[in-house]
Amino acid sequence: MTEHDDRQIREALKQSFSQVNTELRRDLWPAVLRKFDARPARVPWYDWVLIGLSVSVFLFFPQLILVFAYHL
Amino acid sequence: MDLLRRFALGEIDAFETVVRQFQGDIYSWIVRIVRDPGIAEDLTVETLWRIYRARHSFRPDGNFAAWARRVATNLAIDHLRRKRPEQSLLSDPAGPPMPDQLVQRETREKIQQAFRGLPAKLQVAATLALVEERPYDEIADALGTSVGAVKLRVFRAVRILRKRLKQLGVSPE
Repeated sequence: MTEHDDRQIREALKQSFSQVNTELRRDLWPAVLRKFDARPARVPWYDWVLIGLSVSVFLFFPQLILVFAYHL
Repeated sequence: MDLLRRFALGEIDAFETVVRQFQGDIYSWIVRIVRDPGIAEDLTVETLWRIYRARHSFRPDGNFAAWARRVATNLAIDHLRRKRPEQSLLSDPAGPPMPDQLVQRETREKIQQAFRGLPAKLQVAATLALVEERPYDEIADALGTSVGAVKLRVFRAVRILRKRLKQLGVSPE
């Protein structure tokens, strides 16, 4: 491929794509804040493991529920 | 303590200042790639959100703008991969078209069609290098690759475009 070919493609592309305005029209901070509110905090995997372990322990040793409730 | 250090520690006030300082840069980079102001705004918000979530991995003595641009470029590439092929890349001129304009428009549409068919990474490299005429080192930095790799992507994009345009009966002049 020659430099001439490259230039032809470059010109064809520039004519086919309209110029875009690269200036930001508004402040995006409020939209970022909305994203914070929209996304609930995710429970990390180790919390799920702890919950699973606790449920298993209470299933196999139900008497521990009373001990646990006493210490709450 | 400086702004980026406070941002990395998760201070929301520092993040707000960072957003106000860098949102314009991030937006202008994304809009050059996706060429749609609305989509570029959405992707800028998503970029800022991801930057906040990844703040622990940012070294405060590092180059924040380059890091942000890399996150933005990856999101733009993901967007191009997902985008429906029939979506137009340019706004049509107002008013009924004249016969010459019709031919021109048809040619433009075929070029766009061929361009949209390129793999997203080649599309981004070609848009930034050939349409926006950004320096190769800047593109390489944003794509997280070498200048040589960018040149290769542009070369491959031009080769594929030339082939597809030939198939579509269009000769770029």
